[in-house]
Amino acid sequence: MTRQVCRVAAWALCLVGACGLSSHAVAADNQNDRVTALEQKLDRSLKLIEQLAARVRELEAERAGTSNLTQPAQPAQPAPPARPAEAAQQAAVAQSLPQTQQRLESVEQQLTQLADANAARGGGGAGVPLHGFADAGIGNHTANEPGLQGANIGALDIFLNPQLGEHTRSLFELVFEVNSQGQVAPDLERAQIGYQFSDAATVWIGRFHTPFGYYNTAFHHGQEIATSLRRPRFLLFEDQGGVMPIHTVGAWLTGAERLADGRITYDVFVGNGQAISSGSIDPRSGGVAHGGAIYGGNLGYVFGEILNGLKVGVSAFRSNISDDEQLGRITQVDNTGVYFAYDTDRFEYLGEYYRFNDRDLTDGGPARQSNAGFLQLAWRLPLATPYVRYERAVLDQGDNFFALQSNGMSYYREALGLRFDLDPKSALKLELGRTKNTDRNIEQWTDAMLDYAIRF
Amino acid sequence: MQRIFMYWTFSLLMAGVCSAVAADDLFVVCHAGVTLAAADVRDVYLGEKEFFNTVRLVPVDNIAAQPEFLDKVLRMNAAKYATTWAKKSFRDGINPPVTMANDAAVLEFIRRTPGGCGYLGIAPLEGVAVIAKY
Repeated sequence: MTRQVCRVAAWALCLVGACGLSSHAVAADNQNDRVTALEQKLDRSLKLIEQLAARVRELEAERAGTSNLTQPAQPAQPAPPARPAEAAQQAAVAQSLPQTQQRLESVEQQLTQLADANAARGGGGAGVPLHGFADAGIGNHTANEPGLQGANIGALDIFLNPQLGEHTRSLFELVFEVNSQGQVAPDLERAQIGYQFSDAATVWIGRFHTPFGYYNTAFHHGQEIATSLRRPRFLLFEDQGGVMPIHTVGAWLTGAERLADGRITYDVFVGNGQAISSGSIDPRSGGVAHGGAIYGGNLGYVFGEILNGLKVGVSAFRSNISDDEQLGRITQVDNTGVYFAYDTDRFEYLGEYYRFNDRDLTDGGPARQSNAGFLQLAWRLPLATPYVRYERAVLDQGDNFFALQSNGMSYYREALGLRFDLDPKSALKLELGRTKNTDRNIEQWTDAMLDYAIRF
Repeated sequence: MQRIFMYWTFSLLMAGVCSAVAADDLFVVCHAGVTLAAADVRDVYLGEKEFFNTVRLVPVDNIAAQPEFLDKVLRMNAAKYATTWAKKSFRDGINPPVTMANDAAVLEFIRRTPGGCGYLGIAPLEGVAVIAKY
């Protein structure tokens, strides 16, 4: 009788639930998406019920097994009396069974927690996620070697961010590039190991992108995430003719602090003073035998709801840069800069300006001023992103720092470009540009280039 | 007894499903003890906030509820979310949230993981801290 009452009650409850479901379904008759979601949730609920039922069966089976051990069934025929030692052993086993079960569950729980923690850190059984960029292009000049033309391989950039624990972080970036002689040259772009104290402070040690301005740390070798086809010329990589110390090997403290509406970001760094070697800047990743140090910082403000997407900031660094061909000659390079980046769904505006105030510490003499900057405007339209950029560098040729660099001449460049996002991870870029060197070797040329960039 | 238990569970689940779908709410929850402001949720999911006091936050994505979360909370589509994380990973060396299949997996993960955070299409029961409801 009781069983029948229970069954009737259960069916009644089931009916109530089903009525609720059907009434809701009627109300949402024209909302197919909701019905689909409902069906999915119903499927999941049924699976859960099956799992629960299976678990109940398991528990019942375990209980039966335990009672068999603690209360052995009467044998059909009288068995010889158990020896006292065996009986004591059976009793001990029976007593320890629940404890063993409890310990197993505890170990199982710990293992699950460890697996979850590993998965959450991105370092689970699937290994460390590998990310990267690659690009290839074609044009009447290549992007970074005006003396070459035709098709060219840009770079294959691979980076990975293994999360090693609660506070230890790391970042490694390896780039394979083809140099002007057509040889593939691997380059360890970044190798950083850091300790994160909080959101407001992370200390990195190793080789990193020198945190001046915005462009250098925001895009660097990430060709696919940069709107334009090529970097501003004075911000090119050291081995491609850039005139700024793009990489530093040393220590870097960075962080951000949220304010009422926005965030303040900061960077402070110190590292090996760069050298000029064979006409280009050498970050001296292996250490310093002579010369000085580089140190500097960057202070930025990221706007919140008002002017969302805008970042403004200032940066500065001082580096004592040696010349490998004239040992003992040191140039003290003082650089200050201002920048902004306004990145929204509709447009991307970028601008940077740098001023140099350099001194030759060997001969003394007056400080020599130079400056460089660019302005880039891009509009994100439905079909494509057109952009324009103007860049200008006026570099004092009496300043050893620029005079010793093979690409350290003044110039200006105007560029028009068009970027097509073919899918979320690939972009086709076209750029027309006109460049003029305004001192040392005065010349000008026009570029027409195409680049296909991907990320993975 | 087993059959009654199944009927009972089924009825309760059906009622829960109906009420959850009717409400069409989204709950952001974290491991018990983690208290965040609703305004912090965006920062947590875009990698700008990684700690609650000394506890590392471990946000996870929920495939079943992700479109609604991106639309209501982050106000961006899936492509923009992926691009934002591609830039963040490259610049700052951190990885995007791990993706989980459904509400049950997310809830289980959050209960087990100190600093775990996620979002659910159903009202959470017990053992987690509700940060915001959208």
